[in-house]
Amino acid sequence: MTLSRRDFLKLGALVTASTALASCAPLYRKLSGELPVAAWASLNQFDFMALNRISFGARVEERERFVEIGLQNYLEEQLDFESIDDFSCDLRLSAFTTLHKDANELEAISNQLFDGYDRKTVPNELRQATLIRQLYSKRQLYETMVDFWSDHFNIFIEKGECFYLKTVDDREVIRKHALGSFRDLVFASAHSPAMLTYLDNHVNEKSHPNENYARELMELHTLGVDGGYTQQDVMELARCLTGWSVKKHFWLGEFVFRENQHDTGVKNVLGYVIQPEGKKEAERVIEILVAHPSAAKFISTKLCRRFLADTPPPEIVEKAAQTFLQTKGDIKSVLRVILLDGFAFMQPKYKRPSHFVLSALRALNVETDGAEINKFLFRMGQGYFNYPTPDGYSDHSQTWQGNLMPRWQFAFDLMRNEIKGAKHQLQNLLNVLLTETLEEEVDAVAALLLGAPIDRLIRDQLIDSVTSAGASPEETLQIITASLIASPAFQWR
Amino acid sequence: MLHTLPMINKTWMPRLAFAPQNTAPRGDTLVVIFLRGAADVLNMVVPHGEEAYYRLRPSLGIARPDYIRTKKEERVVDLDGFFGFHPNLYPLIEAWDEKQLAVIHACGAPDESRSHFKAMELMERGVEDERGPASGWIGRHLATLNTGNSSPLRAVGMGTSPQRSLSGSVPVSALRSIVDFHLGGSEQALAQMRAALNVVYQNDEMGQDTLAIMDTLEKLDPLTYHSKIPYPDSEFGLALKQTAMLIKAEVGLEVSAIDLGGWDTHFAQGSVNGIMPNLMKDLAEGLAAFHADMSDFMNQLTTVTMSEFGRRASENGSLGTDHGHGSMMMVLGGNVNGGKVHGAWPGLEEGQMIGPGDLAVTTDYRDVLSEILTKRLNNPATNEIFPAYQPVIRNVLK
Repeated sequence: MTLSRRDFLKLGALVTASTALASCAPLYRKLSGELPVAAWASLNQFDFMALNRISFGARVEERERFVEIGLQNYLEEQLDFESIDDFSCDLRLSAFTTLHKDANELEAISNQLFDGYDRKTVPNELRQATLIRQLYSKRQLYETMVDFWSDHFNIFIEKGECFYLKTVDDREVIRKHALGSFRDLVFASAHSPAMLTYLDNHVNEKSHPNENYARELMELHTLGVDGGYTQQDVMELARCLTGWSVKKHFWLGEFVFRENQHDTGVKNVLGYVIQPEGKKEAERVIEILVAHPSAAKFISTKLCRRFLADTPPPEIVEKAAQTFLQTKGDIKSVLRVILLDGFAFMQPKYKRPSHFVLSALRALNVETDGAEINKFLFRMGQGYFNYPTPDGYSDHSQTWQGNLMPRWQFAFDLMRNEIKGAKHQLQNLLNVLLTETLEEEVDAVAALLLGAPIDRLIRDQLIDSVTSAGASPEETLQIITASLIASPAFQWR
Repeated sequence: MLHTLPMINKTWMPRLAFAPQNTAPRGDTLVVIFLRGAADVLNMVVPHGEEAYYRLRPSLGIARPDYIRTKKEERVVDLDGFFGFHPNLYPLIEAWDEKQLAVIHACGAPDESRSHFKAMELMERGVEDERGPASGWIGRHLATLNTGNSSPLRAVGMGTSPQRSLSGSVPVSALRSIVDFHLGGSEQALAQMRAALNVVYQNDEMGQDTLAIMDTLEKLDPLTYHSKIPYPDSEFGLALKQTAMLIKAEVGLEVSAIDLGGWDTHFAQGSVNGIMPNLMKDLAEGLAAFHADMSDFMNQLTTVTMSEFGRRASENGSLGTDHGHGSMMMVLGGNVNGGKVHGAWPGLEEGQMIGPGDLAVTTDYRDVLSEILTKRLNNPATNEIFPAYQPVIRNVLK
């Protein structure tokens, strides 16, 4: 095989543009034939949508891989996330030393107020790390599930001691079990000092129980509001959970069961008589909850809403719920049903702010430390771990429509390099293609952002209108790229 | 329009199938304040004449107006000999004395799930149960009434996403900050961005509205908005202040929806000081500032507060309160039968309460809203706005 100079340039530039390129195989294959002008236009609309559901927006090399091995193999690769080397993302995370500390240490550095630490250090590192992971991790499906469970088991980081306890919850509950078993996830969450603090169970004592966590454990975490429990069940479960608390002194911030605060009477939850057994009582109830058909249906519905459509297809929900029950809540098995059988039922979903921002950053290979980008997420209404109520950020398209201005601001600021610590690599990406005209460049950018070039009439209208407003060719491409990010089509995934 | 996602333009937003059946001149501007998290109304408008209140709330109860062993500023502010304001609601006393503020106690929805999320959703949709229409009650109000007003600011949701109650009507924008509602850059750069946005949003109503709002707000300079009345330095204060600005600028505002969150006080809510008293302070100072600032507009303005349900009459073991049932509404405006606590009081004794010991509901929240819609907003279509409900007019308004 001989390489022409043009081909060689293409190869070099593509490697520069996507430093995280996993394999060169698709490149060599491409080099044997004629490279299309828009190298990444080869995804059809279905594949582009599918890839957008299992990631925070596709990078060029992820599209290559997807095209190379197909949906099913790609999914298996992503589900087996521990086999995906994530060195470059891990390297970026090494700056965030608080991610690995236990509660005791986190509390200490938050209150020592020197060495550059203050009360904002721990939560801000977690927020920045979350953005870095969503942006640079190759374990995109895993990060998508981390995001899903972070909403499902939402904790408002600004509530009391949660500002440092959430770091432990993120590591030991959400990330540990995101693609594991639902039962382990609920179990870990119930023992999570951040959750017990957020939903006031740390002060749930026998004299007069606090119902907050008990209710949400059934309503939001397992059964769903119409899942078949009553106010009486809430009160009885609250009694089972009396004494589940958080240490205040030695090993501060660790889980503790306070025997002397536990209600020792017999309880009755969902028709089951719960004999006095101390800490085991609530654990028994959790086993009942996670194995309940209502939980299977509720979790499957929410997963289908995240991955498929605002109104989840009942046949897929049903099938996923069956799998949930058969596998005792094995998350990977349930996802296989939803992603393989369910993708045929995909409906457009309006991007949540984080997906909107991340998909732009990923498509354009933006280099950033994430600090400044987080401010945009707040303005769009989705700062990480900043949702006050336990239902988590909405997964309904409708919620997020009607706040276009901060999205437009982000798009234009990004492309005009006005965001501190964030640099897009549009030109590097385009160098791969050796595009010759502005029209070709706009087609390529549209294919990158939207999956395919836009209507030629609209493209020409865009070029005309921006140029007539006095933009140089380079500015024109930047403004048009920004307007494609700001456009209605890019708001959907 | 961008052919890459051709299906989205048809499905991207729920639209109402029916055209407005009623044409009427614009009525009052309506400000709807939602206290999210189920406000503990028994500590806001305190039934100090109830023996049971003090029995059920040994720590959290607010002292009677004449209880001399407690400092005067920590006692209930008497309203009518039976009810009184929490001391932190004192800023509202002026509007009360002017008879421009009414309270409807033991008010709420029939739903007894005690779930914030279900209760809020049903209330904002204005429906009896899930089978009702998906749109919001304010959305249906706007859709059923043609006021000849095509302003993109006909309805605004203050904050970062429009409230559920607004959905399904004309597109509704969220507005967090008037000052920040613009693109950055030089005049020439702005012209280029504007040109590009005009192309990509040429067939998109929401985008066109956002562009129009940008133009409208550009002409308002918030820095020159001088009001001698200071608003609280909070998101809530900002939302009210911006509502006042929009009304005075006559940009066509008909409804402003504002949230004040943080009322889910299971733990250490505080009686006279603390989390919930601070929220009450924000609420009362904000409303009082708005009332004073808008004194010349009171005949064209109605403000209502609501919350998804109330809290348990008895305090829990962690100095907080758990989810209850009956709530309370306040209505502020120039045409209110104010200076009065409306609604039948069901009492707090055993046998008078419902469920695990919760205030009963004697006035449906839809009665109050229907009265506002028909008497002040010129919209008779309450059967569309609150389907399957027959409102009872309670004479909260003149």
